[in-house]
Amino acid sequence: MAHCTTPRPKIQVSNFTKRYGDLTVLDNIHFDIREGELVSIVGPTGCGKTTFLNCMSKLTETTEGNIFIDGEVANPVKHNLAFVFQEPTALPWRTVRQNVAYGMEVKKFPRDELQKRLDYILNLVGLEDTADLYPNQISASMMQRIAVARAFAVNPDLLLMDEPYGQLDVKLRFYLEDELVKLWQTLKSTVLFVTHNIEEAVYVAERIIVLTPKPTKVRAEVVVDLPRPRNFLDPKFIEIRRHVTDLIRWW
Amino acid sequence: MSDTAASVCNEVIVRGPAKRRITLASVLRNEYFLNTVSLLLFFGLWHWAAASRVLGTSSALATPFEVVVRLQELFTSTLAGLTMWGHIFASLRRVLIGFIIAAALGVPLGLIMALNPYVNAVVKPIVDIFKPMPPLAWISVAILWFGIQEMPKIFIIVIGSFVPALLNAYNSVLLIEPELYDVVRVMGGGRWNEVKQVCIPASLPAISAGLQIALSSAWGCVLAAELVSSRSGLGYIIIQGMKVSDPAMVLGGMAVIAVIAWLMSRAMDALDRKLCPWRREIKDL
Repeated sequence: MAHCTTPRPKIQVSNFTKRYGDLTVLDNIHFDIREGELVSIVGPTGCGKTTFLNCMSKLTETTEGNIFIDGEVANPVKHNLAFVFQEPTALPWRTVRQNVAYGMEVKKFPRDELQKRLDYILNLVGLEDTADLYPNQISASMMQRIAVARAFAVNPDLLLMDEPYGQLDVKLRFYLEDELVKLWQTLKSTVLFVTHNIEEAVYVAERIIVLTPKPTKVRAEVVVDLPRPRNFLDPKFIEIRRHVTDLIRWW
Repeated sequence: MSDTAASVCNEVIVRGPAKRRITLASVLRNEYFLNTVSLLLFFGLWHWAAASRVLGTSSALATPFEVVVRLQELFTSTLAGLTMWGHIFASLRRVLIGFIIAAALGVPLGLIMALNPYVNAVVKPIVDIFKPMPPLAWISVAILWFGIQEMPKIFIIVIGSFVPALLNAYNSVLLIEPELYDVVRVMGGGRWNEVKQVCIPASLPAISAGLQIALSSAWGCVLAAELVSSRSGLGYIIIQGMKVSDPAMVLGGMAVIAVIAWLMSRAMDALDRKLCPWRREIKDL
């Protein structure tokens, strides 16, 4: 286990607490994320990962504490927050192209920049051939790639991903994990990737934050300093995976 | 990784329907063939029932051919100073005015009710009181309030079409998946963005279905209004046919209504496809 500190983090999560009446779901969570870092969050089932992400994205208000971006309280109107949900959330009345462009439209990207970035992202995620189709005409994996592309397209200050590949088969998940890493490396976005799949977390993340069961706290932070592309059979990979599994099992 | 997304995901994009061999079984299962068989059976049965006087007297039921002949006469001669075209125009005008007023009031009000709990709390009890009331129950008071000219007829049509237009718009918003709003919120989109990007497009299919029902209701109401007090319209033709015991005239009026209502329904379908292109279906899926 190693702790990661930097003089000026991009994202600071400070004293994050969420209570529903007497039930404390999130209990005084602290951690930082560096600019351009891909951090994964793992924790036991029911530990409140989705509540945590909803608070992070400002869809739900916290009871105490806040999230700071560049030292300021995060605000979805001012900052670029993007979210990839567990379920595919393409807008059915927009074509693939229009769906990917949606975030940039809300953020009022200049027209030329929007077009340029749109073509670039569509090409990067391999959706250019299906750009003019509607979501009901494409596969589930393409739907999830729309959500990922839409999120990366706005050049987010923080991209939150809630088990985006949880419902896909293994082969497809491996492919999309590679695609995610490629997008992250190319676009240098700051990503918080929530998953219950420890192998997936070790494969994509630079650092893993392990949560406890409710009331949820940060159990540990594990740095994954493995070269890319990562190999699932690498003894160091297996060692980190085992270590993270033990941290969750400890509870 | 050298695989393309398409090969990894086993994805195939079908750009056009596959060609099929024509066999006897495929013809027998063909939709248009079955439509034709159905219509031929219907008209055959009708002709047999009228020709063999199943219903008793000759004035009870006219054959399809007699109806066509009577319609030809109505299109070329006048009844109460109007040819059939004039009567069609009179009914159509009433239906369209009433339907447009009902849609213009019902759809926005239904959307606002669903979006604003305070408006809903004020309006819904009133809608719930009037909702189960049949539009035809309003005929007497409509004549008392507005006389016997055009106003009471249009009023009845508005009453009859307003409720389905409003209810479908209202329910359509309640059925929207909340995750779609989250897509807008998390991107920093405001309330107007939610309404414009999620509410309105997501509601369009249900609003369109509600307007189809409202249109059918409008036709039912115009007929009722014209049966009671009118010197023009398709309802007037039907009631005149009944008065002079002319079944060909009654059925002719009914047939014209069916054709016009069908054409308007087709027009609504075309509008629906234009407004909701994402609903295009994949054949045989």
